[in-house]
Amino acid sequence: MRRLRLTPRRVAILLAATVGVSAGVAYAATLSVTSWHLWAGSQTLTKSTCTLQPSTTDTYVTQAAPGGSNGSAATMLVRSNTNGQDWTFVYFDLSSCAIPTTGGADTATLTLFITSAPGTSRTITVTPVLTSWTNSLTWTAAQSLSYGSTTTTFTTGTTNNTAKSATVTVDVDALIKNPSASFGWRLSDTGSGNATTTFASSNNGTANRRPQLVINYEK
Amino acid sequence: MKHLSKALAFGLAAAAVFTACAAAATLAVGSTSLSAGNAGVAKCTSSLAATRNVDNSGKVTQVNVAGIPTACSGETLSVTLVGSGNAALGTGSGTVGSCGTSCSVTITSFGATVSATNVLGYSFGLTGA
Repeated sequence: MRRLRLTPRRVAILLAATVGVSAGVAYAATLSVTSWHLWAGSQTLTKSTCTLQPSTTDTYVTQAAPGGSNGSAATMLVRSNTNGQDWTFVYFDLSSCAIPTTGGADTATLTLFITSAPGTSRTITVTPVLTSWTNSLTWTAAQSLSYGSTTTTFTTGTTNNTAKSATVTVDVDALIKNPSASFGWRLSDTGSGNATTTFASSNNGTANRRPQLVINYEK
Repeated sequence: MKHLSKALAFGLAAAAVFTACAAAATLAVGSTSLSAGNAGVAKCTSSLAATRNVDNSGKVTQVNVAGIPTACSGETLSVTLVGSGNAALGTGSGTVGSCGTSCSVTITSFGATVSATNVLGYSFGLTGA
């Protein structure tokens, strides 16, 4: 076997190679350290409930009397009628709940008290109203309001003096994030035939029959 | 021959130093992956906050994280919906994008249907090259 002689030239080459490889490894390792960003954090939510009763504003409008307003009535009508409908409007101002716009609704339930139920159960459609209105609203003015496309429904049953609820979580969640996202709801009965459902309004003499909105929220 | 020995000693010492540096740096990679805020790891933010949207039945449909520094652009943000007892109710991730003066991420999938009522907080993880 031929013996390798360690000449100064060979030593220099060996040294250069060793140092080069070591430096390369060191640089590569250092590079991988500084090129990675790592961060972890958390956010804790606070849960609470806000109950609003009565509604801030409510009324109903009548197709048969398109220029009339009913903002001071103790009851509100929802009517399906081939000769003319009645629509009810309710609005709750959420400002007293003091929910920040970074919060959100976990659940939201609108409850209305039926003082006089129809003879056969009806389906009431709850539609968000996207433009503002007052309790002097008329049928004619209601035609110019903007309405949301997402709706929810509840059935009336046929029993007088019962509370009925509709889930309005998605509307209230949007309202929390943007206080001008909507202005309450319109209740209508688009079913066939003639039927009237009568609800207690914010002017009703019995306080716990007035419209109510319960919001379970996070912030 | 004396010069040769010195050169050999110098070379071995240099190689040892570089190798030690490499080993130490490699160790730092492994150790910082286990804990945040290690001095050896850069970070592009020190806090995040999320909002979420729900459907009408109260199920979380998306989580939005806004106000992320532009230094985090392109990094991966993972968000865990945390419930009672720090239970992970669902986890999703997205790439930090939509940058103007700050960036945002919207995450729409969490691997499970989660009721907003059960979400008591969020846990964030931000990684990127």
